[in-house]
Amino acid sequence: MFKKPILVVGGGISGITAAIEAAEMEADVILVESSPTLGGRVAQLKHYFPKLCPPTCGLEINYKRMKARGNLEIYTMADVLEVSGSAGHFKVKVRIRPRYVNDNCTACGECEKVCEGERFSDFDFGLKKTKAIYLPYPMAFPTKYVLDKSALAPGDLDRIMAACKYNAIEPDMKEEIKEFEVGAIIWATGWKLYDATKLDNLGFGRFTNVVTNMQVERMASPWGPTNGKVIRPSDGVQPNKVAFVQCAGSRDENHLPYCSYICCLATLKHTLYLAEQNPDTESLVFYIDIRTPGRYEKFLRRAQSEAKINFIKGKVAKIEEDPDTKDLIVTAEDTISGKRVSERVNMVVLAMGMQPSMAGISIPGVSIDEYGFVRETEGIIPVGCAKKPLDVMTSNETATGAVIKALQCVK
Amino acid sequence: MGDITKIDANLAAVNQIISAGGDTVKRCYQCATCSSVCPLAPDEAPFPRKQMLLAQWGFKEKLLSDPSIWLCHQCGDCTKYCPRNARPGDVLASLRLQATRELVPFKFMHTLYNNLWGLPILILIALAIILPIMFLTFQGVPSLSDPTSFPYSPVHYKIGFMDLPARVLMNDLIFLPLSVFIIAIMANAVSRMWNSYLETYKIPQAYRIGYIDVIKTYLIPALKEILAHSRFEKCGANSWRANPHKMLLFGFIILFIVTGTVFFLADILGMHTPWNPITHPVKWLGYIGGLLLLYGVIGLITGRNQAVLENSLRTTYSDAFLLWLIFVVGITGFLIPLSRIFTFYYNYVGYIYLAHIIAVFLLFLSVLYSKFSHLVLRTTAVIFDLYYKDVLKKL
Repeated sequence: MFKKPILVVGGGISGITAAIEAAEMEADVILVESSPTLGGRVAQLKHYFPKLCPPTCGLEINYKRMKARGNLEIYTMADVLEVSGSAGHFKVKVRIRPRYVNDNCTACGECEKVCEGERFSDFDFGLKKTKAIYLPYPMAFPTKYVLDKSALAPGDLDRIMAACKYNAIEPDMKEEIKEFEVGAIIWATGWKLYDATKLDNLGFGRFTNVVTNMQVERMASPWGPTNGKVIRPSDGVQPNKVAFVQCAGSRDENHLPYCSYICCLATLKHTLYLAEQNPDTESLVFYIDIRTPGRYEKFLRRAQSEAKINFIKGKVAKIEEDPDTKDLIVTAEDTISGKRVSERVNMVVLAMGMQPSMAGISIPGVSIDEYGFVRETEGIIPVGCAKKPLDVMTSNETATGAVIKALQCVK
Repeated sequence: MGDITKIDANLAAVNQIISAGGDTVKRCYQCATCSSVCPLAPDEAPFPRKQMLLAQWGFKEKLLSDPSIWLCHQCGDCTKYCPRNARPGDVLASLRLQATRELVPFKFMHTLYNNLWGLPILILIALAIILPIMFLTFQGVPSLSDPTSFPYSPVHYKIGFMDLPARVLMNDLIFLPLSVFIIAIMANAVSRMWNSYLETYKIPQAYRIGYIDVIKTYLIPALKEILAHSRFEKCGANSWRANPHKMLLFGFIILFIVTGTVFFLADILGMHTPWNPITHPVKWLGYIGGLLLLYGVIGLITGRNQAVLENSLRTTYSDAFLLWLIFVVGITGFLIPLSRIFTFYYNYVGYIYLAHIIAVFLLFLSVLYSKFSHLVLRTTAVIFDLYYKDVLKKL
């Protein structure tokens, strides 16, 4: 029915949605994802908008739909190197990095038990270490372990291979270069958190209890590094008073000049996490404007009624640490009263902005703008946060719409 | 319905602010980063966020009656961290110029001082005042290429017990009335400024004190602060400015003392210049003052160029004009006595002398019409700040 397959680049919520929608329309689909598992940012969250579902909820059903499609090929640890040709006739060069674990893996976990080498988990934003051989997260798809050879301790490899009953460890696996001929490309590479250490006045990296919004998500996640508790990294104690710094990196010409769309809502969601943990927790939200796009205004009202929030209109530009208690002193001008306020808090959350994953990356044949967002060209359709900052619901809408465009290129 | 007050923006004032180096003012979106990072802003009345908003609306009266704009030393910390590149530090510099313009009469002079095209006219104005006095005191038109005709003419005047050479009488006739003019106008400006501050901060009558008491109580602490540059040194982004600015100030103070000493020794006691350029102690004090002045001004010029490259500061014509004017005063001031050591240009010392007088004349007058007004107006604001802090303690 269709002349050529559709390539979907990126296996987060947008890419998964696009791939399934296209596959269910009987088109052949190739999905490439650069990390070892699908799921993307949504998998890292405790709850996601609009209905504050846990990620298992949306991802599991999608994984099931994917497994049911024979016309959907999935490659993880795969990076697009080059795109050539034109709409209807693209050639795409993809590098597939070795996983060192083959399809025999049943995720029994015996290898992990005997492995001694450890690595910082980027999935947990450095809040936890995993073993050198690890399952990215409990619901990882494909459900296979990954080996990080650089993190192996001496003797690890022998122990791991001995522990694996399924002959799944392949230490000699090589990098592969594949070339796909496709008719259309849906670009769903999503976003990364802007580097918080670049905000030198906010102390991230220098002060232990200054964390990012995504670190809060990982802590709040029930299978996260702190088993679902939002705690101070310095002493593991649950904070009583937390300051949220809005527009940390966003709407700032020295960093990300655009509004990142999600950070205000993420902060409101985090105040609910804190209230759920301890209703007395006080949240100070320092903001320029609270932005709740579309119908999310309702969510602001909900957070206001359920959590103990104190909104202060004024951007935080200075954070100091009390070296004894590791508390933080946050300074801002309260523009309503016109006075400068300094608040002592137990923890600071930087509502970091989103940067497109493509920022700083150049792939021949793919056009990106000055910030790293992908421009639509004929046959290459950006969706989700590769296109612009969006929430999950709207990302999925762009993904569904893109499928129609892609189908027209391959019909 | 209650009373509705309609507030109109003063577009003419906005345009003035924009044209005087505040062209980025409208980029501000009131996030207040600037007020948090400012090392000088007090907690009770932080700046410059509020001033940016007032400037966007052109609320001139409110800005004029706000000491904050003078408490800013243009460190550039706000400009560095501003997420909108609205350059609050540069906007406040523009506001200070506007405040000076509003406080000092003869506004056309302000225009001439702050535009390049005004410079030749200013020089002509200086000449129009200097030359008649020169012709009068030198009894005719002296020859500039003959040092024994100008400035070292043998003509002397005996006035009472004083015995004044022509050039001394000329300088006295130019600069004494000029100083009186400047002091009178500045005194008026300072008084208007002070009263508007009292109103802005709603100082109760009971705490208002007379000028004499203000000077007695707060002038010395303010001067101590200014001499130590204790505010200036808190600056972050452009901390390099504090030291050369301090040296420049010390240079000015030493040169002021030298001028006073010369006036006393030469005019009153009759010990007339030119003094021996190598052995006379007052000459040496003058050299030290001159060197500090040149060191300071060159440090400010080069530092500024660096800061412009780093985008923490911008140099407008008004900034450059004052620095280069001071530079010319310093250089010509050195060239006159040095001409008697390095005699190869001694015959042209008349031209250098005239250039020096023109430059000094323009520098004196620039206290009224250029950013040099901060000498008096910022000092006033610092005094008010100290006074206001005391009032707050009592309230």
